Amino acid sequence: MTEKIRITRRATLKAGAGAAALATFGAPAILHAQTATLKITTWGGKWGEIMKGEVLPAFEKEFKCTVSADQAFPFVPKLQASPKSNPVYDMLHTNSNEQWSCVELGLVEAKLDHKKVPNIADVYPYAISDKIVGVSIFTSAIGLGYRTDKGLKKPTSWKDLADPALAGARGGYIIPVNSLGQAHLMMLGKIYGKGFNDLDAAYKALEALKPIKLVDFTGQMEKMLLAGEVSMGVIHDSGIYRYDGQNQPIEFAIPSEGVLALEQVLNVTPGSKVKELAYAYIDYMLRPDVQKKLSETVWYSPSNKKVKLDPKYDARLFNTEAKVAQLIQPDWKWYNARKEEIDAKVTRLLKG
Amino acid sequence: MSARSFDLGRAAYYTLNGAIIAFLLAPIAIVAVFALNPTPYISFPPVGITWRWFAKFFANDDFMVSLWLSLRVAVVVLLLSMLIGGACALALVRGRLPGARILTAFFMSPLMLPAILTGLALFQVFQLAELDRPVWGLIVGHTLVAVPYVLRTTLAVLANFDTRVEEAAAILGASPTRVFFEVTLPLIRPGVIAGGIFAFIVSFDQFPISLFLVPPKGETLPVVLFNYMKFDLDGAIAAASMVSILLALSVVLLLERVIGLKAYVKL
Amino acid sequence: MASLADTIPGTLPGPRPARPSVSPIAWLVGPALLLFVVFFVLPFGTMAVLSVLSGNPVQNPNVHVTPRHYARFLGDDLYHDALWSTLRIGIITTCAALLIGYPLAHWMARMKSRLGHALLLMAVIAPMLTGIVVRTFAWMTILQDRGVINTTLIGLGLIEKPLPLMYNELGTVVALVHIYVPFMVLTLTGVIGRIDERLEQAARNLGASRLRAFREVTLPLSLPGILAGSLLVFALSISAYVTPFLMGGTNVLTLPMLIYQQVSSSFNLGFAGALGVILLAVSLVVVIAYNHVLARFSGQEGLT
Repeated sequence: MTEKIRITRRATLKAGAGAAALATFGAPAILHAQTATLKITTWGGKWGEIMKGEVLPAFEKEFKCTVSADQAFPFVPKLQASPKSNPVYDMLHTNSNEQWSCVELGLVEAKLDHKKVPNIADVYPYAISDKIVGVSIFTSAIGLGYRTDKGLKKPTSWKDLADPALAGARGGYIIPVNSLGQAHLMMLGKIYGKGFNDLDAAYKALEALKPIKLVDFTGQMEKMLLAGEVSMGVIHDSGIYRYDGQNQPIEFAIPSEGVLALEQVLNVTPGSKVKELAYAYIDYMLRPDVQKKLSETVWYSPSNKKVKLDPKYDARLFNTEAKVAQLIQPDWKWYNARKEEIDAKVTRLLKG
Repeated sequence: MSARSFDLGRAAYYTLNGAIIAFLLAPIAIVAVFALNPTPYISFPPVGITWRWFAKFFANDDFMVSLWLSLRVAVVVLLLSMLIGGACALALVRGRLPGARILTAFFMSPLMLPAILTGLALFQVFQLAELDRPVWGLIVGHTLVAVPYVLRTTLAVLANFDTRVEEAAAILGASPTRVFFEVTLPLIRPGVIAGGIFAFIVSFDQFPISLFLVPPKGETLPVVLFNYMKFDLDGAIAAASMVSILLALSVVLLLERVIGLKAYVKL
Repeated sequence: MASLADTIPGTLPGPRPARPSVSPIAWLVGPALLLFVVFFVLPFGTMAVLSVLSGNPVQNPNVHVTPRHYARFLGDDLYHDALWSTLRIGIITTCAALLIGYPLAHWMARMKSRLGHALLLMAVIAPMLTGIVVRTFAWMTILQDRGVINTTLIGLGLIEKPLPLMYNELGTVVALVHIYVPFMVLTLTGVIGRIDERLEQAARNLGASRLRAFREVTLPLSLPGILAGSLLVFALSISAYVTPFLMGGTNVLTLPMLIYQQVSSSFNLGFAGALGVILLAVSLVVVIAYNHVLARFSGQEGLT
């Protein structure tokens, strides 16, 4: 008897909960059904907050459209898996190495139509160099981050990372998945060998860096430095500067051999149905006021020459012709062609 | 057997279990510390107490909306998978299906495949069907990996099933339908519910499949946390974690009170 | 045990049919089958097809069949190692989870108080709810060079240099075991709970020690739970990639991690698909073999 009651109670409960839960999903608001939708990608964290809070709403208002911003990284596999005639993104924002892979896969335009992006006239040369597919809206500089309280001298060369005193206390990246690690590998070839393409010298130098702690994204490197797990690591300036004002014993050093550029690149997909809007968006992201806002939120160096940053940002970011000339842009086309073999080689090498 | 060795055995039993509980709860303690520690990175020992990470979490729209979505999705997945998985288990054990063994292995296979492939494959299929990541697609993806759990636990209960109860009911004159609904189902309920708990948790915490199937503005909490973390690894995600734990535990406790999970352990 | 299934269709225990035919209950497999065929077989099938093609036909109409992804796997021992690592980590994790999970499941199953049971349940479930990423970071805090364990041990003077507990297989296994013990416990506890305590009692009354009663009565009867639990944990741990990724550096390369790399940064869906097919095939073989062996030992049939 009680069994029957229990079933009934369970059944009604189940049905009720199920109906309630389903009901809450409802139909998405179709207020914007009339306006065009621009599908873009964006990072999360502070960048995402300011994009969704200020930058995108302003764009939507001005251009009378809806922007659908995907934050769920990785983006390229999704773009790969969607049909070319109806790509899941109209505009792709990612790092330079991925843009190069995408152009090989036919997923993005090989050459942006500069006439459709007027603000391109005001960018530094690196933003539209032959090492870039699309246009770079921001960049960071890849150098060395270090702790100031470990009695270390401020590093002046990339070779300082190999200091024996740092054994087990230095940090690098899992190269197959991280572009800073890949850029660093090329740099090793330059400083220990004949140039950025000297992989043999690079492998040797990488092996000499063992023992080294490897992580797969820069956020983890930041935490390792902050927690004292490593005393020095490869990192971009933004990763250190964002702790400005928080009294943390970490600093960023620009090695004498130069810093590598970590560009934020925008591009348009060939199959996009709202190409004009996508171009308008890229142009919008190059506006000095938008650039300034984003730059000062996440400590990225803006690519538009006309941006006037506040003094504390101006002092440290790469905001003049002279400073920008210091940035070394990696040859991603060359690297990507060899990525598979490099990945296999470095994995074997670092397996310990 | 002397009273002393009896106590020793008992003491060992409880000590062992205590150590295991400590092992299970240690990381949660760390997360709690992280959520309350003023430093912007995980450090031990803690340097103080602050509520700012919780404040940051609750103030963040993304977190709150996604938390709510994750809960709702998990409830629907829970119900769907209990129905589908429970039915499937019955069919496999009682249905005299040819190749039941192979079918069981087949239904287990979503668990053996890295979820990133499952997610990507589902995404591709939805794209080809011109569907751009509907919410029911997310539910389907979660249910796919949740059903094996319900299947597993129900099968385990069915294996130890004392069919004499059913026989008795039949002998007493109950029709097969009645036996099914009033004897069989209640007796497998513990297995189905245990699997349901898994299903809820697996859906709530599901990450790789969600990564591919969430539309912008429709992200589940794990996805939001991961994206946040790639950019800003601070105490807010620990606060998010603590809140999720408390919420999900409340749901489980609610199930416990209403359905009486304790009762499921004994007949 | 299967005997009653034959007689249920008829209301009276009459003569059994000569060959048992498929029962109407079999239709209950329908929804699951539908779900799986449309949303698992189809997508996975396309992935498997991609693994033998030279490109993605959706993007590029000029594709041909090629075994090169599979040849690539067979040709490089880096990938073989990855497969062995995957299986090895899976087996170690499963054994550890079983050894750790069984006592807890036993306690929970025999717990008399409802409050106690609820508390234990929460303690067991809470780790699963922490969230995969946050939980991994918590383990990093515990295991890393300046983490809880090492700072405590160094502080107590027991060791001089920090123990390498992270960025290697040990750290990965610890973190995986932590995630999967609750699954093991919850699977086992139902089964153990259904074992009539009086059977154990009877054995003890006949003079068996506690340990012997456990070994010869409880343990064998809980075998279906052990089987179900270990299969579950094994399947999960061989497909895990987020945890080994965050915990292991490059010291640990498993097949799922390789798949992740191929999908998210090499964008090589063909190779990723091939790896997925290989992983699934190997796992199914292991699972089916395990089933047979254990079924033979325990005399259980009909539970895969």
